[in-house]
Amino acid sequence: MTQHVVNVLLSGVFHASILFLVAAGLQVVFGVQKIFNLACGSFYALGAYAGVSAVGWYAGAGGPPALFILPLALAGLAVGAVGIVVERGLLSFVYDRDETFQLLLTFAVVLMMEDAIRMIWGTSPRSTSGLYLTYGQVRILGAVVPVYNLIVIAASLAIALSIGWLLTRTTFGRIMRATADNREMAEALGVDMRRVYAKVFTLGTALGTLGGALVIPATAAMSEMGIELIVEAFAVVVIGGLGSMRGAFVGALAVGVLRSIAISVYPELEMLLIYLIVIGVLVARPRGLFGGAAA
Amino acid sequence: MILQADGLRKFYGEFCALDGVSLRVDAGEFVSIIGPNGAGKSTLINILTGITRPSAGSVRFKDREVGGIGPVRLARLGMARSFQLVQIFPDLTVLETLQAAGVARLGRGGRLFASLAGDREVQEAALEVVELFGLGDKRHTLARQLPQGDKKLLDVASAFALRPEIILLDEPTSGVSTADKTAIMETLVTASRRIGLRAIIQVEHDMDIVFAYSDRIIALHEGKVLADAAPAAIQADQRVIDTVIGRRAGAR
Amino acid sequence: MKGGLVVVVATGAVAAAPLVASTYHVLLMLPFMAYAVVLLGLNLLFGYAGLVSFGHALFIGIGAYTGAFLTTHGRVRSLEVILVCAAVLGGLVAVPVAALCVRYVKIYFGMLTLAFGMVFYTFVLKFYRLTGGDEGTPFLRPSLLGRSLDAMPKIDYLVGPYYYYALAVLILATLGMWRIVHSPFGLCLKTIRDNPVKAETLGIGVTRYRFYAFIISAIYAAVGGALLGPPTGNVDPTLAYWTHSGNLVFMTLLGGFASFFGPVVGAFVFIYLQNWVMSIVPYWRLIFGAMLAIIVIFAPQGLMGLVTRRRPVPPSRA
Repeated sequence: MTQHVVNVLLSGVFHASILFLVAAGLQVVFGVQKIFNLACGSFYALGAYAGVSAVGWYAGAGGPPALFILPLALAGLAVGAVGIVVERGLLSFVYDRDETFQLLLTFAVVLMMEDAIRMIWGTSPRSTSGLYLTYGQVRILGAVVPVYNLIVIAASLAIALSIGWLLTRTTFGRIMRATADNREMAEALGVDMRRVYAKVFTLGTALGTLGGALVIPATAAMSEMGIELIVEAFAVVVIGGLGSMRGAFVGALAVGVLRSIAISVYPELEMLLIYLIVIGVLVARPRGLFGGAAA
Repeated sequence: MILQADGLRKFYGEFCALDGVSLRVDAGEFVSIIGPNGAGKSTLINILTGITRPSAGSVRFKDREVGGIGPVRLARLGMARSFQLVQIFPDLTVLETLQAAGVARLGRGGRLFASLAGDREVQEAALEVVELFGLGDKRHTLARQLPQGDKKLLDVASAFALRPEIILLDEPTSGVSTADKTAIMETLVTASRRIGLRAIIQVEHDMDIVFAYSDRIIALHEGKVLADAAPAAIQADQRVIDTVIGRRAGAR
Repeated sequence: MKGGLVVVVATGAVAAAPLVASTYHVLLMLPFMAYAVVLLGLNLLFGYAGLVSFGHALFIGIGAYTGAFLTTHGRVRSLEVILVCAAVLGGLVAVPVAALCVRYVKIYFGMLTLAFGMVFYTFVLKFYRLTGGDEGTPFLRPSLLGRSLDAMPKIDYLVGPYYYYALAVLILATLGMWRIVHSPFGLCLKTIRDNPVKAETLGIGVTRYRFYAFIISAIYAAVGGALLGPPTGNVDPTLAYWTHSGNLVFMTLLGGFASFFGPVVGAFVFIYLQNWVMSIVPYWRLIFGAMLAIIVIFAPQGLMGLVTRRRPVPPSRA
């Protein structure tokens, strides 16, 4: 019994770790730029496919399997550079427009990336066969848990702490928070919005692509993963509160674990439960657990 | 008595915008509210017109407690307002704006399948207001394409189109050239007589306008009522002169 | 009335299509007509009330599945009954959804509608014993005006009686929406789109009008959704997926949300262009995504905006 519970919880936390990365990317962009980036799921997918390719190349080049996580993570981070292209090439043109148009532009990116990924990697799922258990498994309270999962959970935690440190201890972090609070004033104080936006968006993208890369050993990269994940990420930020990092953390945990529980108890319920909670949260407390401005 | 406020207080966090403001407006009165910036004038208007809830105190309109019932219900009860930062419907024409007021006033809003153009009452009422405010030749112009003075006029005109019993005007002549100011005020007075308006409250900075048109002046300072009297008394009130009017070369 | 002449000519062209155009193209008109009905409703919400729904495909799903269930499980084949039931169900579901959603604006409205859309999608997908899951439910050939036309070959049915039936529904829907938009109600909607604060001071209850606009647009979407069923003979959950909702908004923007016929134009262009692009290369999303980006950045008033050149300034962040 305990082993079942542990399994459910830990797989939930693993999923939450990935979700957190993507949601953090979403929050960072929304918090500072006030744009809800529908394409964050697409970046996640991009990271996943890039991760598969990187690991495939790495294995083919004869790299030691034990270090596969390095090219995986590096590939994930590297394709985050797409963020700069999207930001400079598209989003920067609509910063002064109504948020509806900004949202629609991110939807345009979703469409383009869906097909771009198909063009490059084809439509069949890609996976990193066999690497998942490279680091072996451990027994925790009777449950068998892949060590890889624990590594990812730890990595995600480390990244969460780094983001926290970035936001509170660095100048850039302070600029981010100031801009999130009051853009006009930040600008009046001499902050160069163009560069801040470019950096923030790229950071957000990279978090998403990294999340996608890290999930790869556990799942296959599939065409729909982008548009499916955005709805989960969206649930996370609604529950946690738009723009809040703490919200992303708690929201991701909530969604990850709840989903895991739902799957094990009543599979039909899976995402349905999550959406109902989202609706509930939006109705009862629109700003979520840690969000700022009200609806 | 048409409008009465008792002990209004408004706090924005620690900041006290209004600190115990009471006033009373009777039928037939034209009351001006004056005061330096930050005195709480706009806050007062917003509370009186139901857009902001007071932290404390009450507002009675036509002998009904109306604190916090919101602008929609107040409009239906007979209160209208114009805005300091002019508020218009950018993509509606002048005529459409006034038709909207007419639709709201006559309760036609629920008619989904009736023709707006065919509604004689609404059309005639809108045309009447358009002429009254001298916007006749611009009636098919989109509101956002109007010059600033006309936008202000439209904002005020749409309030009048509600045929309210009381109108609250928040700086009706601000941002408008001196020549236009008098024109607006005269139009306002004529229009009020035409629609049977029972009282006007305005927030105004231009002292010439204030003294020319008001029956009574209320001076606000730092969230409190400094003085509430007829123009002559206000002119003689040293405190008001010091804080609001300033020294004038030659009294009126 | 130049505009009126164009509309009459266009309608004539659409009516004449089965007689002159190839079967392939005529068949494409069927989803176009269904989407045109949906979008007429959606634009009441978007262009006239100023609300962007990212979950409107929910109501398409409701309409489509209502028809599918009625024909497959309910043994009802009359398209009149199906359309009325779709409209009623769409409206009924819209009541609680609208009641919740219209209290919020902009991004929160979009998010809430998206969530509702996905609830329906997930429900229909997962409860496959009821709904057929991802394979969907068949939508059997409906009878038109009481006449069962099961004996006809499918193509003849679709490009013949069904085509004209759908066209009639579209014409009626258009006339209805025209009246609504030019009614006192429509004017009130425009005021709350333009300046909700001022609208309230005129005594126009913002939430209440948004609520009714939502219900009407939901009914239109459900009717359009029901019309989407017969051509393919099957309805599946993807009809309610959030990207489908996104495409609806895309189509509306493409045609022009500030114009009455914009959405209809948008539906037409989208469907034909998509079909044409797909015949050349499978990556229509890439091209369409680029198209959407170009529209948003350079031509937010859509095709009708370019044509009429009456260019209201796109809403800015003021």
